[in-house]
Amino acid sequence: MVAHLIPAIPFLAFVINILFGRKIKKVSAFVSILACGVSLCLSIYTFASLLKGHGSYTLFKWLIFGSTSLNVGVIVDPLTCMMLLVVTIIGTLIQIYSIGYMKDDPRFSRFFAYMSLFMSSMLGLLLADNFIILLIFWEGVGLCSYLLISFWFEKISAAKAGMKAFITTRIGDTGLLIGVFILFFSAHTVHFSGLTAISNANPLFTAAALLIFCGAVGKSAQFPLHVWLPDAMEGPTPVSALIHAATMVAAGVYLVARCFGLFLAHQPALIWVAYVGAATSIFAATIAAVNNDIKRILAYSTISQLGFMMIGLGVGGYSAGTFHLMTHAFFKALLFLCAGSIIHSIHAQDIRRMGGIFQKMKITGTTFVIASLAISGVPPFSGFWSKDEILSESLRSGHPYLFMIAMATSLLTAFYMFRLIFLVLFGKPRSELHPYESPKVMTIPLAILAIFAIFIGLVGSPFMHNAFQTFIHPGPPENSEGLAPNYLVMLLSTLAAALGIAAAYLFYMLNNKILPLEIRNKFTLLYNLLYNKYYIDEIYEFLFIRPSIRLSRLASKFDSGVIDGAVNACAKAVVVLSRIKSWIDRYIVDGAVNMTAGIVGLFSLVLRRVQTGYIQTYLLIAFFGLALIIFIKLIGG
Amino acid sequence: MIPQSHFLILSALLFSIGVFGILTRKNAIGILMSIELILNAANINLITFGKFLGSPDGLGQIFALFVIAIAAASAVVGLGLVISIYRNAKTILVNKLNLMKW
Amino acid sequence: MSGLIQVLNNSLLSQDAVIKATFYPIAFLTLFFAFLVVMSRSIFHSVIYLAFTLIGIAGIYLYLDAEFLAIVQVLIYVGAIVTLFIFTIMLTTQADTEPIRGTVRRMWAGALAGFAIFLILSKVITMTTWHIGLPEAAFVNLRELGRSLMSKYALPFEVISLISLAALVGVIVIGRGRKR
Repeated sequence: MVAHLIPAIPFLAFVINILFGRKIKKVSAFVSILACGVSLCLSIYTFASLLKGHGSYTLFKWLIFGSTSLNVGVIVDPLTCMMLLVVTIIGTLIQIYSIGYMKDDPRFSRFFAYMSLFMSSMLGLLLADNFIILLIFWEGVGLCSYLLISFWFEKISAAKAGMKAFITTRIGDTGLLIGVFILFFSAHTVHFSGLTAISNANPLFTAAALLIFCGAVGKSAQFPLHVWLPDAMEGPTPVSALIHAATMVAAGVYLVARCFGLFLAHQPALIWVAYVGAATSIFAATIAAVNNDIKRILAYSTISQLGFMMIGLGVGGYSAGTFHLMTHAFFKALLFLCAGSIIHSIHAQDIRRMGGIFQKMKITGTTFVIASLAISGVPPFSGFWSKDEILSESLRSGHPYLFMIAMATSLLTAFYMFRLIFLVLFGKPRSELHPYESPKVMTIPLAILAIFAIFIGLVGSPFMHNAFQTFIHPGPPENSEGLAPNYLVMLLSTLAAALGIAAAYLFYMLNNKILPLEIRNKFTLLYNLLYNKYYIDEIYEFLFIRPSIRLSRLASKFDSGVIDGAVNACAKAVVVLSRIKSWIDRYIVDGAVNMTAGIVGLFSLVLRRVQTGYIQTYLLIAFFGLALIIFIKLIGG
Repeated sequence: MIPQSHFLILSALLFSIGVFGILTRKNAIGILMSIELILNAANINLITFGKFLGSPDGLGQIFALFVIAIAAASAVVGLGLVISIYRNAKTILVNKLNLMKW
Repeated sequence: MSGLIQVLNNSLLSQDAVIKATFYPIAFLTLFFAFLVVMSRSIFHSVIYLAFTLIGIAGIYLYLDAEFLAIVQVLIYVGAIVTLFIFTIMLTTQADTEPIRGTVRRMWAGALAGFAIFLILSKVITMTTWHIGLPEAAFVNLRELGRSLMSKYALPFEVISLISLAALVGVIVIGRGRKR
């Protein structure tokens, strides 16, 4: 019952690195890798305890509202354990690689701090047993993605890319949030265990499922929210490898797998998962075929492969999709690390300037080829087995069109991957390059990943009696035909891979690019469309970004004009009021005072005439008074 | 016999003339003279009443005698004052002696 | 009046008529001179008229059987006080052209006051009915006057002398001036 420590220890490493990074400098890498390694051991232990029969458990009651209460707990099931192992192994290897890649960076320790934070968030996401905790960590990985994409924020393009990633995934997250709300208000539960209880199809839950898929679309860069992933390549290559190839983008696929019960009960939502995945995969593959940036080709490849996984899940192949998730993580991480190794040595990313690197970078080159073979689906490498599962599953569940699209995608995948290989590693160098092999700290992870890329697929192959499938999906298999190997599909997929590789060889090795040039000249329009990524970014810019900016400008004008105007008007009113008051004070109040004084003065002016100073006047008055008194006395009586 | 009221009327007239003189004369000595007139009017009154009402021990006349003495004393003092004022203010006209004016 | 009566006994006129015939002119003259005292422009003339008024009043005293007082009046008033007045006038006259009398307005005011006083007094006089005591008892001869002055009214007598002394001293002090 130690699973909850798995995300806690990398978080501790993050805190240490953030607070003391400046002091410990290079030691921060050690801290981070140690933490990751400990998490790896704990993941193995958890895996073992799962095999022994221990399952999910709750940690504590967090919030209580009304009759329901939110418990924080840990989910320990096959899917989570598999993901934990994948994430921790790849994470540790990539962090070791980063020691070499980020060696000269001034913010070395901060990089590892962010890496640890990411590991912590990802692992927490995998272990969450309810939507709320999942959402917390979902945001966490989004944050780390932003921080790491714009790690070199002095470059404007990197800062913009970080923002783009965050905002685009946010759009997906909104859908996810609404979906969670619907689930909570209708089913009164946010725990994943409660989702299996939703077996009766309800249009409300269909909507909820689709909205949850929205979140997956954002995080896993499916169409139409895929635009952030290519730009995210502005970040350091280890970041691209870890986050945008192996782990974070897999979080979307994990989410769909986690809610699979909900999706299964609502077939309309599930089939949309497949449609979106299919569209995305063929779409991204076509773009990758004409792109000239080494990292961007790999980015579009990631998008395409994630679409492939969605196809697998969408046709009901829970084990197929998750199998491909696992194998893809390894060979995609390897591909990115190789690309990073090349970029690190020659400081260039445009493949038109490369060529013949294999001579000088033997280890990198070899592992690169191995990874490409894996991704192209060449047996017996790992990719072959997982792709084959998806292909046969799609055929088996009665979606021939999806099967054909997937086939086409596989062909294209093989084509563009080997285009990359031939252009970068082989042939004559096209510009002044000085490649040199990377240090051991970088090449050893490459080698280890290569071993995984070769052999990991075997756990799901018929040679091991489909151990993976039975492991990942306990209980009766979804199809009663069992998982008998479909030799036709195997043959077809191998053929597709061979075709792709041959085409690449033809185009780029034999005729030295005369043929591609001819094609380009013939299909200029199509080429431009593909080269410019179907102008999606431009469309978004026009449809969404410009109006948003205009709206925000309007709001700002409103704020300064109306609201500030109101405040200023208030102030002016107060000033006017005070002027009136001062006028009142000066003229009316003082006037009253002065008037009183004036009246007194007037009276005195009149009355002082009595004091004439002449005795005779006084006597006069005295005599008159006397006469008056006597007169009154006489009258009175 | 002359009736009593005639004497009284006489003294009243004399008194009124004296009052008129006090209020009218500008010369301070003139005012003093009018005061003498008033005193004399009072004397006539006294003696009249003394005679007609019957004065034991000649009260009426004795009273009048005293009044004469007093009047003399007051006239003396008054005239002394007038001389003193004349010495200081160089005038005895009361319309010039208005130091108590506002 | 008894002596005069005896004198007039021999004449053919009755006592009463004679008294009456002579009283009213004397009274009128007295009043006339008094009027002139207050109305005359020159202060000298006023003093002379004052003297005549006082003599007239002495005459009226005779009609009231106050012979002693009449003589005292003439001696003291006319003899001493009027002389004093004349002396003071001599000492304080300035030869200026200012009119002696007050302004017309003041005269009217004064006249009004005097008239008011007179009206009141006459009203009182006519209103009351005067007791008339025994005429006999009214006759006071000089012997009795002297005797009562020394016995019953000795105190006022002494006081009068004190007052005179005070007046004397006072006037000397006032008249002395400041410069000594």
